[in-house]
Amino acid sequence: MLSISNVSKTYKQGNKEALKNINLDIMEGEFTALLGQNGAGKSTLINIMAGNVKKTKGTVKIGGYDIDSNELDTKKIIGIVPQDTGYDFIFTVDEALKKQSGYFGIKDNKEYIDELLEALYLTEKRSARLRDLSGGMRRRFLIAKALVHKPKILILDEPTAGVDVEMRHTLYDFLIKLHESGTTIILTTHYIEEAEKLCKRIVIIDGGEIVADKPKEELMETFSREIVVEIHFDNELKLDDFDFLKEYQPQIEEKTNLKLKVLRKDFSKVFQKLAGKNMEFTDLIVEKPKLEDIYLNLINH
Amino acid sequence: MKRGFIFYNRTGFLTLLNREIHRFMKVPVQTVLAPLISNILYMAIFGGMLQTRSVGIDGVSYLHFLVPGLATMGAIFAAFQNPAFSIISQKFQNTIQDLNSYPISVTEKILAFIFGGMFRGVLVGVLTYAATIFFVGYEIEYPLFFVLGLTATSFVFASVGLIAGLVLDNFEKMNFALAIVITPLTYLGGVFFEVSKLPGILSSIKYINPIYPLVNITRYAYIGVCEGNIYTHVLVTTVLVISSYLIAAHIFKKGIGIKTV
Repeated sequence: MLSISNVSKTYKQGNKEALKNINLDIMEGEFTALLGQNGAGKSTLINIMAGNVKKTKGTVKIGGYDIDSNELDTKKIIGIVPQDTGYDFIFTVDEALKKQSGYFGIKDNKEYIDELLEALYLTEKRSARLRDLSGGMRRRFLIAKALVHKPKILILDEPTAGVDVEMRHTLYDFLIKLHESGTTIILTTHYIEEAEKLCKRIVIIDGGEIVADKPKEELMETFSREIVVEIHFDNELKLDDFDFLKEYQPQIEEKTNLKLKVLRKDFSKVFQKLAGKNMEFTDLIVEKPKLEDIYLNLINH
Repeated sequence: MKRGFIFYNRTGFLTLLNREIHRFMKVPVQTVLAPLISNILYMAIFGGMLQTRSVGIDGVSYLHFLVPGLATMGAIFAAFQNPAFSIISQKFQNTIQDLNSYPISVTEKILAFIFGGMFRGVLVGVLTYAATIFFVGYEIEYPLFFVLGLTATSFVFASVGLIAGLVLDNFEKMNFALAIVITPLTYLGGVFFEVSKLPGILSSIKYINPIYPLVNITRYAYIGVCEGNIYTHVLVTTVLVISSYLIAAHIFKKGIGIKTV
């Protein structure tokens, strides 16, 4: 559906190398998160796909069409929700969406616009001028705008920045439904839990390079070498009693719980050592690693 | 239809053109009424003051001399401002990148902006003429040629406005270009008086002033006479129409002002 081969970008201004030999293939129906710090190259990559930034080298194919030789055909396939909530202040929501449909060659799109407005809770605001919408409403409007031509690929550049928690979850539900209906989605976000909740595949960009690209579960399996184990005892604990587990950084919590940081490969050793000391426990909780920890771990190395 | 043809996406082109017209029609007081009133004031003040003096073409009343000048001047400013303001305001609103996301060919985009500006220019020019009917009557020597003259003028300055919008990045620079370049050229182009009657070097400016042939085409169409040779004016205007479009197209295709390199 989307194929990026050996794409590099060096901005003329400042001679800044924003992307270094990026290779990325997105299959039809995938829900992919593109993660990275500010300036990592995510927006440059998206802007190359959108045609806003000229790449220095490499090829980008969208739906099988090359963005250089079949630029206009690629435009029909993608919808882009930009990071910036810029808007044409003079038009109403309805006017702007009708015009957006027209740009994509759709003369009468009223029915689908109505559907989108309802799904994004904007029906009551359809006659409001864009300048009169709140920040969250403008974000939802931008999503509706990117979808009026029913693109096969939707690219969202930090769509929930500045959106309140309730509306964020409404948007998550909307995106999940959209994905279930067959739309390929690429999401960049600063909320790692958002990527963890929504996406099946995680791509992490750092310094203009892809440093990780795996299905979410596999990524977590591969990179989460350390897990947190909480062992519950029925008696009060003293830290000194656990010197034999020193290498796992033992901590006592709520007097009866022992918390350890254990490498996956050492998991069974901990219980062998506890058994060796005849220590019996009543409960065991293994904390699943968070994507955020893996992300931080990857970009900090 | 294949990419590169004018109508790759006719509905897209018409929508973009509609937006360019809809945008200025939403604020008609600023975009149509204001220049119209200022032209009527020019007519009343300059016309009233100068009609008894020997200004303009011999044998033609000053008010009749002034009408086509004012119509051309109104068309120039309106046609220039429409695409220039549209593009710069999109830069200001951070929506300029939207232009790159539409499946509309570059030629269609350029023509939509130019035709939008041209429509506003012709509208202001024709309304200026309509307003002057109260002063001088409605007679026009060659009505179709008059509209064609305004159309060519508006096309040239809509192209110039598009170029300015792409190249300039804020309203201050646009207003500076309008005040320092276009306004003086308009005044020296024969709107209010015969350029050949200007003293010294000022009378030679007509040879490099693109507004001079445009004003004279409209004047010829209106009163049947003009300064200089009408065929030369038509030829120069044709060159201006083609060259202004080609320059605008070149800048647009290079992505100047709308794409990051």
